[in-house]
Amino acid sequence: MPSIDQFIESFLTAVDFQEAVEVAPDTELRSLPEWDSLAALGVIVMFDVDYGKTITGDDLKNCSTITDLYKLLG
Amino acid sequence: MALSTLHNVRFAGMASCIPRREISNLEDCPPSQRSERERLVRNIGIHTRRICPEWQCFSDLAFVAAEKLLDELQWQRDEIDVLIVVTQSPDYLIPATAIILQDRLGLAHGTIAFDVNLGCSGYPFGLHMLGSMISAGGLKKGLVLVGDKSATIMDPLFSDAGTATALEFDASAPPMYFDLNSDGSGYKAIMLPAGGHREPYGIEHVIPKRDEHGFLRLPADLVLDGPAVLSFSTQRVPPAVERLLEYSQVDKEQIDHFIFHQANRLINETIRKKLRLPAEKVPSTLHDLGNTSGASLPVTLTARLHEQLDGAKARLLLSGFGVGLSWGTAIVDVDKARFPAMTEA
Repeated sequence: MPSIDQFIESFLTAVDFQEAVEVAPDTELRSLPEWDSLAALGVIVMFDVDYGKTITGDDLKNCSTITDLYKLLG
Repeated sequence: MALSTLHNVRFAGMASCIPRREISNLEDCPPSQRSERERLVRNIGIHTRRICPEWQCFSDLAFVAAEKLLDELQWQRDEIDVLIVVTQSPDYLIPATAIILQDRLGLAHGTIAFDVNLGCSGYPFGLHMLGSMISAGGLKKGLVLVGDKSATIMDPLFSDAGTATALEFDASAPPMYFDLNSDGSGYKAIMLPAGGHREPYGIEHVIPKRDEHGFLRLPADLVLDGPAVLSFSTQRVPPAVERLLEYSQVDKEQIDHFIFHQANRLINETIRKKLRLPAEKVPSTLHDLGNTSGASLPVTLTARLHEQLDGAKARLLLSGFGVGLSWGTAIVDVDKARFPAMTEA
């Protein structure tokens, strides 16, 4: 399992933010300007390709912070 | 698990036709959305698309592709025993577009003609249906016309195209292998909800409503559940490809070109990486021709490989997936088949 810092790095790449944002473990996903359907697709692919883990759109909807997302790896 | 082999069927050739009108996902969007569009385009990999004018139907493009192919093959119109049209954009709800095209193409009354309602997965299914009819030996030559008119100005994914593929009976032809699948539990992932018998058109369908992003949408517009389609495509397609390779006892190295439905860059790159395929063996037309629905396999063959394939020998793996949900893979050997250049209409 990657560290949460490594995970955040992958997350930033997957979401493909237009402008740099600060993301910490307790960052609320909804507070991020580009947390949209495209970001969801990027994150589903990241889980699959980088971590070999299958997650669904509903799994993502149930997450409110970066830590919640990270826990999906478990 | 519908794994099968067809014998005695030769892939004689194919042709594709796209509309002349090109639109750009970046240039043709409101300036206020430009920055968001750039991010979208980077991820879906689609820069420009082709779109029919109002008056033009899918069948108009397929008609041009069929005429081109028949001319290239020098097949007589009265030799065609079967005409199958695979589309979700028919000319009318009733009657079938294939029957209208039988007359328009000047084919004989003895032609078997019918439509099949499949979208992005349609090409391998169309090859299998026509191939099965020819394989039995009673019918000698047939055409399958595949494609859709699904482009709109605002939606950044879809692009229009019509294609024609010719198969003929040939006892010395190499076998074609197929893996064809359906999962109706996912029917809501991509759907046009209104206008059928479950939800007939009513006055409520012509009143636009704002969606969660503030865009005005008609209740009758196409519904597409992005995460569901992505999960379906990236989970189901790679094992299906592996299964067909194993069934046919063909190694990945023995396939010259892997052609996948052109969904979007995220989906296609994930599938390619999961199958560990080199990019040079997996041609793409997403950048300039978008997602051409069921036509995307033949369109990619025409746009990227027609010079290389025309009159030559090659082994192709063709994989279509999407609305239904439905997914199919075929391994087809082509030998001296005709692949004319792209036509515009």
